[in-house]
Amino acid sequence: MKNVDLHHGAASDVGLVRKVNEDSFLVAPPVFVVADGMGGHSGGDVASQMVVEEFQRLAEAYDPSRGAEQVADAFGRAQARIIDYGNAHRAITPGWHAGTTAVVAVLVEDDGVAKWLLANLGDSRIYRITEGRLEQVSVDHSVVQELIDAGAITAEEAAVHPERHVITRALGSPEGIHPDFFLLPLGSVERLLLCSDGVTGMIEDTEIEEILESVADPRDAADRLVRAAVAAGGRDNATAVVVDVVGLVKDASYDSQRQLESLESKLGGRQ
Amino acid sequence: MSSEDRLEARFATGDWYAVVGDHVTVLLPASQRDRVAGLWDLADSGGTADAVLDALLAGGLSSLDHFALVARGDDSTRLIVRGLPTATVSAPSGEEVVTAAVGTAWAERVIPGVTSIRVTLAGDGDVEHALTPGLARVSTVEFGAASTAASAPSTASGTSEPVMAVEPEPEPEPEPEAPADLRSQPVMAAESEALPESPAPPAAPEPAPVPAPQPLSFGDPGDDPTLTGETPVVEDDEWADRDGQTVAGHHAPDFDRPPIPGQEIAPEVVSQPVASLVFSTGDVVTVDRTVLVGRAPEARRFASHDQPHVVTVPSPHQEISSTHLEIRPGAGADHGSAIATDLGSTNGTVLALPGLDPEDLKPGIAVSLVPGAVLDLGDGVTIQVTNP
Repeated sequence: MKNVDLHHGAASDVGLVRKVNEDSFLVAPPVFVVADGMGGHSGGDVASQMVVEEFQRLAEAYDPSRGAEQVADAFGRAQARIIDYGNAHRAITPGWHAGTTAVVAVLVEDDGVAKWLLANLGDSRIYRITEGRLEQVSVDHSVVQELIDAGAITAEEAAVHPERHVITRALGSPEGIHPDFFLLPLGSVERLLLCSDGVTGMIEDTEIEEILESVADPRDAADRLVRAAVAAGGRDNATAVVVDVVGLVKDASYDSQRQLESLESKLGGRQ
Repeated sequence: MSSEDRLEARFATGDWYAVVGDHVTVLLPASQRDRVAGLWDLADSGGTADAVLDALLAGGLSSLDHFALVARGDDSTRLIVRGLPTATVSAPSGEEVVTAAVGTAWAERVIPGVTSIRVTLAGDGDVEHALTPGLARVSTVEFGAASTAASAPSTASGTSEPVMAVEPEPEPEPEPEAPADLRSQPVMAAESEALPESPAPPAAPEPAPVPAPQPLSFGDPGDDPTLTGETPVVEDDEWADRDGQTVAGHHAPDFDRPPIPGQEIAPEVVSQPVASLVFSTGDVVTVDRTVLVGRAPEARRFASHDQPHVVTVPSPHQEISSTHLEIRPGAGADHGSAIATDLGSTNGTVLALPGLDPEDLKPGIAVSLVPGAVLDLGDGVTIQVTNP
């Protein structure tokens, strides 16, 4: 874990329509979070901020060998806080709601090997660049995703479906939270993107891929993604976090000797 | 339906669900409605206590704060309570109050010769309705000691007359037709409160209107302040223009799909490993959860308490795919053994079962493993299956 160097960039924009940016994000390597809040009157922005605060706490005392457990705990603490916050508000304003999506990426140690542990609740997304192609890793918890899974509609129809913003899991849900987790080898992720639906709802995956492939610096890549989403209409808060693992040699075989040689030749080391 | 095996059961109405099968009764709070439909299928088809418990726990304990389960076996009664429910059990050996201590997963008893069990869920009402197989909304449930007085404590009358659950014909009183008659009335009366749309159905073997494709309602819509409950979807102005249009819909309990279509979902909790895998690389891995094997295996869409064990094997010639093979505890007919599935690997997997010719695994088709079986992934990597 010590020799994994992460470069990252993040950008967030309120967009052209919303008054408040209810998205929150966290870059505290090796912990990265994007959360997209729901609920008005200081509901959504507080909910998404609570998620970020709990993951900030995780990052301050992070033990990579217990990564999955600590992430689950952070989700649990955030959930409890959002529920409490909602209950307190409902005492004054009946019908008041607060909730938030969350996508999380942390490096964990699995059997002593560094891996990406990813988690998802709602319709914010995690993408990766693998073998030079963009791939969506997370699967939305949304009504349209269920319709796609059921074969009822295509991905193209989903993009314009009237219920495309309806999510089926979120932090703040009194039904409890059921995040999906993903465990990926470090080498299978050349670049990682966490983003809110203000990005993916405004620009096509092909444009996301083009930006992630062509912009080398992750800070610039995050900026470009958010600016493209705003330029495309900015109907929603848009947030992007881009993470690169630096010094990692793409080597599908995981042959450590070959990997080392390749790394050394690239770095101009011992020749 | 073997009504003579049953202690007569009665209930007081409330908002908990009682899922009553021939052998097993599960009591769940109103918030657990999404679990009820699946459990009813299982309980109605004569599922055993273990099978019902398995299904009950499939979603994990963390989302299941309270439940009670009563299973009547041949000569004893098994009782599990978690969270709020309190059970008062009378048996010839005496009376016992069973509750789960704070901080424990649950309290469990197996009690021979039970004469009565009273499970108090919410309040302590008069058990004035007969509880028959089906679904009911309850606050207190009492097995045995019934015909005396609805609200009588189960103890005195129960112990004086040891009417065993176990005896095939303990009391001649309930005639074989009786359950059908009883079922149509009080059970449905309670049920129709919860589901106003369902017309009081006649006594029929399908007393559960739960699978009806109505929008799910969690608890009483009137006091439902939830994100996921009754929040109207798009038109609702409470939600529509709040944030970037993202709104919460209802929870979708059926959204968890098995990793491979058409297969039963592996039990998430298995009490003991079903096999050991001895890798040619020297690794030894027990199959107490899903094991993923490959050159650079990826695990997708798992729950926090159910993280698969990923085993990376070397493949200098790239004959092994990144996520090549899945081995997990079997479910259903394969319960108790390990099953292997080739996950669509490029070069396939060869399975040699003892005494049989080696065969290629068909991608996506699970095969049961027996001790002595050997799986060959290519590049010299083999996995030998042994007893745990």
